[in-house]
Amino acid sequence: MTQSRREALRRQQESQQRAKRLQRVIIVGAIVLAVVVAGVFATIFISQLNKPSAVPGASAGVPVNATADQSGIIVNPGKFADGVPKAEIFLDYQCPVCKQFETTFGPTLDDLASKGEIQLIYRTMTFLDSNLRNDSSSRAGIAAACADNAGAFAAYHGAIFAGQPETEGTGYTTQQLRVDFAATAGITGDKLTPFQQCYDNRATADFVQGTNEAASKGGVNSTPTIMVNGTKLDNNTVFQQSAEAFRQTILTTKGNG
Amino acid sequence: MFGNLAARPWVRWLTFAARQIIGFVLIVAGAIKLPWPEASVLAVRAYQLLPFDLTRPVGYALPVIEVVVGLLLVLGLFTRLAGWLGALTMVAFIIGISWVWAHGISIDCGCFGGGGETENGIAQYPWEIARDVGLLACGVWAGLFPRSPLALDNWLFASGQPPEPADDDELEESRA
Repeated sequence: MTQSRREALRRQQESQQRAKRLQRVIIVGAIVLAVVVAGVFATIFISQLNKPSAVPGASAGVPVNATADQSGIIVNPGKFADGVPKAEIFLDYQCPVCKQFETTFGPTLDDLASKGEIQLIYRTMTFLDSNLRNDSSSRAGIAAACADNAGAFAAYHGAIFAGQPETEGTGYTTQQLRVDFAATAGITGDKLTPFQQCYDNRATADFVQGTNEAASKGGVNSTPTIMVNGTKLDNNTVFQQSAEAFRQTILTTKGNG
Repeated sequence: MFGNLAARPWVRWLTFAARQIIGFVLIVAGAIKLPWPEASVLAVRAYQLLPFDLTRPVGYALPVIEVVVGLLLVLGLFTRLAGWLGALTMVAFIIGISWVWAHGISIDCGCFGGGGETENGIAQYPWEIARDVGLLACGVWAGLFPRSPLALDNWLFASGQPPEPADDDELEESRA
């Protein structure tokens, strides 16, 4: 009798303790989950703050010479015939090797483009912003796209690379992008104000983000990447080529389709 | 299964050490990446392993998961679950690095921030995999023998009685 009552009491105590413990486990577990969810949302929120985006209400988001799928900007619109090789250059304005590529082969590309022997497309990427923890690639991309609306894309593109800082990560100043490079590219007089407004409103920010996304989606993870008719060229080979050999490579690389 | 073994003091202290090691590494690795989720997304993309649309959610979630699992392990909270989760992330990293190695893709693993293609990433792979295997072992150990000293679990799962060796089975039941 006493024995079984004691036993019953002990069991009751045990089940109470177990219930209490379960409650404790559930509460602590819920707290941990809440921290995880809050952490994820905070991360997303912070990254949105770091991202340059168009000023609300800004217009003229897509540069005039954008490709139909808005994945890049055509450097020589209307100058090439159907069926000429399509050369796509994936670049990031903060990438030193891109500057090197521009210096070495830019004139060749410009020559081919202006003669209409190729269709030349620059596809701007901005991933170095994440790596270098600034927003200069995006801002330079935005400015270059704005320059296209001023009819000076190629010149402005060249001006950015000519003014690329010695040390990767220094970035571009607003003065450089708004004033200096514009002057170098010949954006003057009536054209200067709309260009600067476009830059100040980050009007082309969504477009630039789109070109970066499209490039990543296409499997391009590094810059410079040179594609001819959809075929990636090997950078090690390209950088050892003479300008003339590079010209031949561009003109003769077959597509993959 | 390991009831007898789990009761030994050295096993518990080894669990303590194991969860401190993997926990600390996870916290550091996650905290470095946490403020830069877009960089983390790029590091994930560089592996060319996941479908493109998955890379963004994974890139955002991974640092948070690392920090949370790491904190749980260091504090000794939900040690069994956290140990297995930590082990699981290590398995994922080992698979990732093996994948890029097998495909001859040379990248910075992005383990502690950074990431993307580099010149001589491949030379780093053996050492990175060795490191992750070691951490995997820590996670598995903590998963198998979750009881350890100086753990919040000892409070959380306390039965109100002085701990006895027989407690282990009960403890395992309650977390199953």
